Amino acid sequence: MSTPRKNDDQYLWKNPLAVWGAKGGNYDVPSIRVEDPRTVWRKTTSYKAPLHKVGRFKYIHKWANHGKRLWKRQRWWPTRRSVLLIRGLYNRKTLKAEKSIVDKRPIYWAISLLALVLVPLFVPESLQFTILTAGATFGIFAAINVCWTLVIGTASIFSLATYAVVGTAAFLTAWLSINLGLPWWMLPPIGMLVGIVFGGILALPALRLDGFYYALLTLGLNELCRVYFVTSSEFGSASGGLYGASTYIGAAWAPLTQSVVSYYGAFALLVASLFLFRFIDGRRLGRILRMAPEKREAFAEATGVNYRQARVTVFLVSSVALGFIGGFYTAQYRGVAYAIFGFDTVLLGLAMLTIGGIGRVEGAVAGTLIVVVLDKVFITLGPIRHIMIGVLMLFVVLFLKNGLFGMKQQFRAWRDKKKGEWRSSRTEKGGEALPEEATEIDDKDILYRKRFDKMQREHLKTLVCEEVIEEHKNKPLGQHSEALERLLLYFRRTPQNDKYAIRRDSRGKRYKIVAFSGVRGTSPRLVEDKEYETVEEAYHGVFRRRVYDLLEA
Amino acid sequence: MDIEFILINGIVIACIYGLIAVAVSITWSSLGLLNLGYGFIFAFAGYGAYVTSRSLSEYPPVVLAAGVLVGAVGGVIICALIFIPLHEKPNFTVRGMVGTLAISLIGSQGLLWWFGPRNKALPEIFGRWQVEIGGTVLTSDKIGIVVCSIVMLILIVRWMRSSRRGLEIRAMMMNPHAASIVGIGIRKTGFYVMGITGAMTGLAAVLLSQTYYISPFSGITPLIKGVSIALLGGLGSVRGAVIASVILGFAESLTSTVLGGQYVLITQFLIIIAILMIRPRGIAGILDVAREQ
Repeated sequence: MSTPRKNDDQYLWKNPLAVWGAKGGNYDVPSIRVEDPRTVWRKTTSYKAPLHKVGRFKYIHKWANHGKRLWKRQRWWPTRRSVLLIRGLYNRKTLKAEKSIVDKRPIYWAISLLALVLVPLFVPESLQFTILTAGATFGIFAAINVCWTLVIGTASIFSLATYAVVGTAAFLTAWLSINLGLPWWMLPPIGMLVGIVFGGILALPALRLDGFYYALLTLGLNELCRVYFVTSSEFGSASGGLYGASTYIGAAWAPLTQSVVSYYGAFALLVASLFLFRFIDGRRLGRILRMAPEKREAFAEATGVNYRQARVTVFLVSSVALGFIGGFYTAQYRGVAYAIFGFDTVLLGLAMLTIGGIGRVEGAVAGTLIVVVLDKVFITLGPIRHIMIGVLMLFVVLFLKNGLFGMKQQFRAWRDKKKGEWRSSRTEKGGEALPEEATEIDDKDILYRKRFDKMQREHLKTLVCEEVIEEHKNKPLGQHSEALERLLLYFRRTPQNDKYAIRRDSRGKRYKIVAFSGVRGTSPRLVEDKEYETVEEAYHGVFRRRVYDLLEA
Repeated sequence: MDIEFILINGIVIACIYGLIAVAVSITWSSLGLLNLGYGFIFAFAGYGAYVTSRSLSEYPPVVLAAGVLVGAVGGVIICALIFIPLHEKPNFTVRGMVGTLAISLIGSQGLLWWFGPRNKALPEIFGRWQVEIGGTVLTSDKIGIVVCSIVMLILIVRWMRSSRRGLEIRAMMMNPHAASIVGIGIRKTGFYVMGITGAMTGLAAVLLSQTYYISPFSGITPLIKGVSIALLGGLGSVRGAVIASVILGFAESLTSTVLGGQYVLITQFLIIIAILMIRPRGIAGILDVAREQ
């Protein structure tokens, strides 16, 4: 029952009251030495696990706030949308009122777009043409990818025919411009018409097919467009594309002016596509479709969401936008090459989306930037730059759950998992509340009481030994040695429910151990059938039970 | 227009693209991986056969075996790089498909970098002879293509029917989760499946190189045709893929004879869309239940 002790732990305890002739209690008993409770307290309350600083990063500035100021918000005139979503809260430590920006993305967008506006002013002379050309390509491809994100992410239609729509619109507008002499400003609207027709044709199978069946079908349709345009007699030519359409870039302008104008034209296209994304994904249609993600359509349908109509609407709208981009493409480059239908274009486009994160508009733009910089700026590297893009794509697919912009979420999930592991490894079990449930209990006194109780029990367990039990057996009442006294004080303080008591049988004059129910009106239950002759024996029986419970718990 | 010519061309086309379609189908149904890296394996095996014919021997069986072996190696590479690390991660199907596309990008650009953009030709494997049956001239390469691919397909189907490994693959096709519970190693089976399907693609590469040249991007058209056939047959069904390859092979040879080469893909996709609109799971949706994932 008790751990073996060294001999010098034992000593002969003398009852201090004995000299006064007190009745009851032992006069002297062999007992064990009890350590100074202050030492025990210091030892048990010292924290063994290494501590790390917790809390907010000091370098993140928080603006001071006043409750009144929260109601003043800057809004985009004339709508009621606020420029920045700001939440007021009180610092839990200093109790100061603070402002916190809930969604910082508008700030990042503004900074990035401003940087794109300023790029032409700061490029070095030697790289001017390379970077401006790459920037124009980036603007157009980013606009295409934003629309593609609308199809894949918002409408969750895994279409790979995006570039086919753009290419078809570009080819048809180029052909019309060459043969009918249409001016450049008519090309994007005509492209929109082409887009809606092509989008309508593509939307038909999208209603029936799901997921990868549709992806593979559209991959084939892309190839179909390529083969058709390459082999047809109207569009086919030896120059690898159809060129000679009218353009908004004046042929008489200086080469640098041409580059700058085409850069800002493409940038305007990108901003327009971002607005389109915002107005579809951030409003009613986007909300409806967020209700009906893939494989949960049945639930959405049951709640009355007509997700098919919403998907087809988004698909058609983005097809129109892609047609517009196709027309713009022709108006910018005077025509279009067959390469736009190529498998490699689809591959690079998918690489752009994947690297940034499929379904995120910031991912689409950032991925386009990375791929276009690798592809167009490092053009001297030859095939190696495509290998680099492929390796980047492979890395992202293998290690990131949802592209570069999913990294934060993925890191947080990983960190929370690790945190839980570390915490559980240093938590001591037994009586104490687990950290997870501790946050749920409002009255923190309960937690401290539990922790103190656990520490006390751990200490009292070390006091139980043969001598103490023998001492209690000899004299259950009266003055006791320190070890026994501490045990008895703890036992007497236990709460009423399931507390042991002694009941005297009125006829047989014998004693039995019972336990209180702790509920008024409910009689105590009988703990055991054993009967005791005297009340002292019964006291000792209760003591043995309590010691047993202490050691077992 | 003569019927025999269309018939023979249809069969030859069906044989070559059928191999890739069956490979795509088996991989999808057993591993749940939509492997679009067969285009790369195709080119890789073609270059493997080319290097062998240049450096080792031009003896036809050696070249054929080299193509098949290098194709199998390509399949194993994709399995080790994509399937093994990704197969139990979240969002596996999309990430697996994008991963195989990344391998395809890296692989074909690597081939371009190493071998240069110039087309390569393989030696003639089946010689130069012809047989006349009932007024129709059958050239050696056509007979060779048909015989080789049918023999390969029969061997693989027999192997999958009768061997222990084939039983494991079929179990994975039926229910991958239950298969892993009864002790079939998913990773090991993944290597078998990818090796076998890579070998099929390698054979298709060597066979097709009797007609076309080998180039870093020569695998893309066969890949797209194979995927379309697999789609029409219903992903995951070997029988559906075989039937679909016959249908599309005849459609191709008929269209190119009657209407002209540029309308081939249009008629093919009209057929595919028409059948898929009626049966979203392809021909296998008529035959039996295809794996849904």
